Amino acid sequence: MSGTINVTRNDNETVISVKGRFNFEMHSQFRAAYQSDAGDENQGRRFVIDLSGTEYIDSSALGMLLLLREEAGANESDIEIINTRPEIRKILETANFQRLFKIA
Amino acid sequence: MKILLVDDDPINRTILQRLLGKEGHPVVTASNGVEGVERFIEHQPDMVLMDIRMPKMNGYEAAMEIKRLSRSRFTPIIFLTAVTDEEGLVQCIEAGGDDFLTKPFNRPILQAKISAMERISRLHARLREQKEELEQHQERIHQELEIGNHLFAHIVKVGNLLDAPCLNHWTSPMSLFNGDLLVASYNPVGGLNILLGDFTGHGLSAAVGAMPVSDIFYEMTAQGFSIGDMVEAMNAKLLAIMPTRMFLAACLIEVDPRQKSLNIWNGGLPDVLITDNTCRIIHRVPSNHMPLGVTQLTREDRKVEILEMRSDFRVFLHSDGVTEATNRDGAMFGSDRLESHFSGAQAPETLFSAILDDLKRFRGDAKQTDDISLLEIVCAQAGEEARGVDARRQRATITPSPWEASFTFSALTLKAVDPLPTILNMVMTLQAPAGHRERLYTILAELFSNALDHGLLRLDTRTKKTPEGFIRYYAQREERLAALEKGSIRIQLSHTPLPSAPNDARAPGGEIRILMEDSGPGFDIAHIHSHLVGNTGHGGRGIALMRSLCKELTYQGCGNRAIAVYHWTQ
Repeated sequence: MSGTINVTRNDNETVISVKGRFNFEMHSQFRAAYQSDAGDENQGRRFVIDLSGTEYIDSSALGMLLLLREEAGANESDIEIINTRPEIRKILETANFQRLFKIA
Repeated sequence: MKILLVDDDPINRTILQRLLGKEGHPVVTASNGVEGVERFIEHQPDMVLMDIRMPKMNGYEAAMEIKRLSRSRFTPIIFLTAVTDEEGLVQCIEAGGDDFLTKPFNRPILQAKISAMERISRLHARLREQKEELEQHQERIHQELEIGNHLFAHIVKVGNLLDAPCLNHWTSPMSLFNGDLLVASYNPVGGLNILLGDFTGHGLSAAVGAMPVSDIFYEMTAQGFSIGDMVEAMNAKLLAIMPTRMFLAACLIEVDPRQKSLNIWNGGLPDVLITDNTCRIIHRVPSNHMPLGVTQLTREDRKVEILEMRSDFRVFLHSDGVTEATNRDGAMFGSDRLESHFSGAQAPETLFSAILDDLKRFRGDAKQTDDISLLEIVCAQAGEEARGVDARRQRATITPSPWEASFTFSALTLKAVDPLPTILNMVMTLQAPAGHRERLYTILAELFSNALDHGLLRLDTRTKKTPEGFIRYYAQREERLAALEKGSIRIQLSHTPLPSAPNDARAPGGEIRILMEDSGPGFDIAHIHSHLVGNTGHGGRGIALMRSLCKELTYQGCGNRAIAVYHWTQ
């Protein structure tokens, strides 16, 4: 029982919404959601991860966020994680991800 | 297809043999059931055509015997029958027949039935091959896992002191390999180093990452390196070997019964909870750092939280497998339920087992979805050695002797590298004051950042008082360091042996005098202490810490020259 992913795109922004459980089972779905938009030819593209419908997030999901960050240009990447519920925000902050991502 | 034809009627045999021969099938014949079974054993045919009524042994019995003999492969049996009654046909199938052919024989039907059986035979053979392949594969994986598990257990557990009297621990891996790593070992001065780590994911891949980490842990602990050094080495190793999406959330703790201190570094694990005789949480160390293997570390990242350890302290560590353990209804154990045990109602000695019992009761027979680890450090027993282990590997220090070294770093060097680890390594190599590395590092680092941040970069510590100011402070620091063109820092180290006792010619240790001078304009010496307090920030324990570590601490000139004196003993 895992979650579902919705993607909306416009010219310079990709919004990925994760509903349900964001865990290791979501790996290929999540990767497919951003892969066509990440990479050298898409430099400067903004990624928004919307976690408003996310019930749970595990360390594999944190790993996927790191992978997105790397493929979107590591330190040059522009990734924002939005609509984090307090429990999920706590997990992100325990890993000190606010140093790598904008978290709102 | 080699075909066995069993029929007592010679005319039928001749007709069929001719028909089959025309199709290109080699034929073996038998005239009754007994002979049919014998021919079957002898020739191993691919298919059997079987008459029903025969002397000695009838077709049903012979078919059952043949099926019994060829259990491992599929040998189709087609009954040759004149009977058309349902009862007789049912009996054919029950005896193991796969089809039947009614007399008189019709060539196209015979052909069609034989090729249908051929198709089934081929399918059967392929299935059997695949099944065997899978079984071999499974067997090989099983053996490899067994060997892997053996290696893993021995590499990770070498010198592990989880039976140290001060430790209570419980781990429950969700699969054969544990993705949680729990190791403990004594350092050369009798302090106990402990690492609890939680890899992304579970099972084999997580366990593979545990090997280099445990190697570094044991090696560096034995050599007396600080946990800050270990954090740096482990992070570098994991960055180099692990895929981006894997990392290690970890907590490293040094329990130092001699200095009565607890040094804690937490990167990505749940809060470390500290309780005392009141059995309430009196202090918590949250994760202040990134997990290991995510990104390059800054100097801030190797900072450990240093606490004064009281003998009634109990330190609780756990992986998120505890708070995220689910029961059959899918509810999580949660940190509230965990922390509810620290209400003051429990006796300190039973706290660990109370938490564990509650967790087990909560989970019941629900499926485990993560590795679970829980650890308690009983500080009162921190000085006791582990049972039956030669725990304290003594590392010879070098006979204390006089020496002196001096460095001057220009702005160019200061911008490019942090010279402290190199200087510290030099001291460790020249004199090997085992177990004093962390303290020497702390002194050097405090003096150095004072000289650089305030002496040369003219940063104002008061900025750091608010969280926003804290961030601004480090942004400013980065900017000013990048723009720094002039100025230098001089570090001078002098070592002299301490006077020996009357009955022993050997010096008991040495005195290290550290002079740190910057070329900046200096500042009001009367306010120097507030600078030091500002340096260590969180809680202003900096000055007290420096005073407790140093024999002497003085400032000269216009406040731009600091002299710290440190005594080390063997």
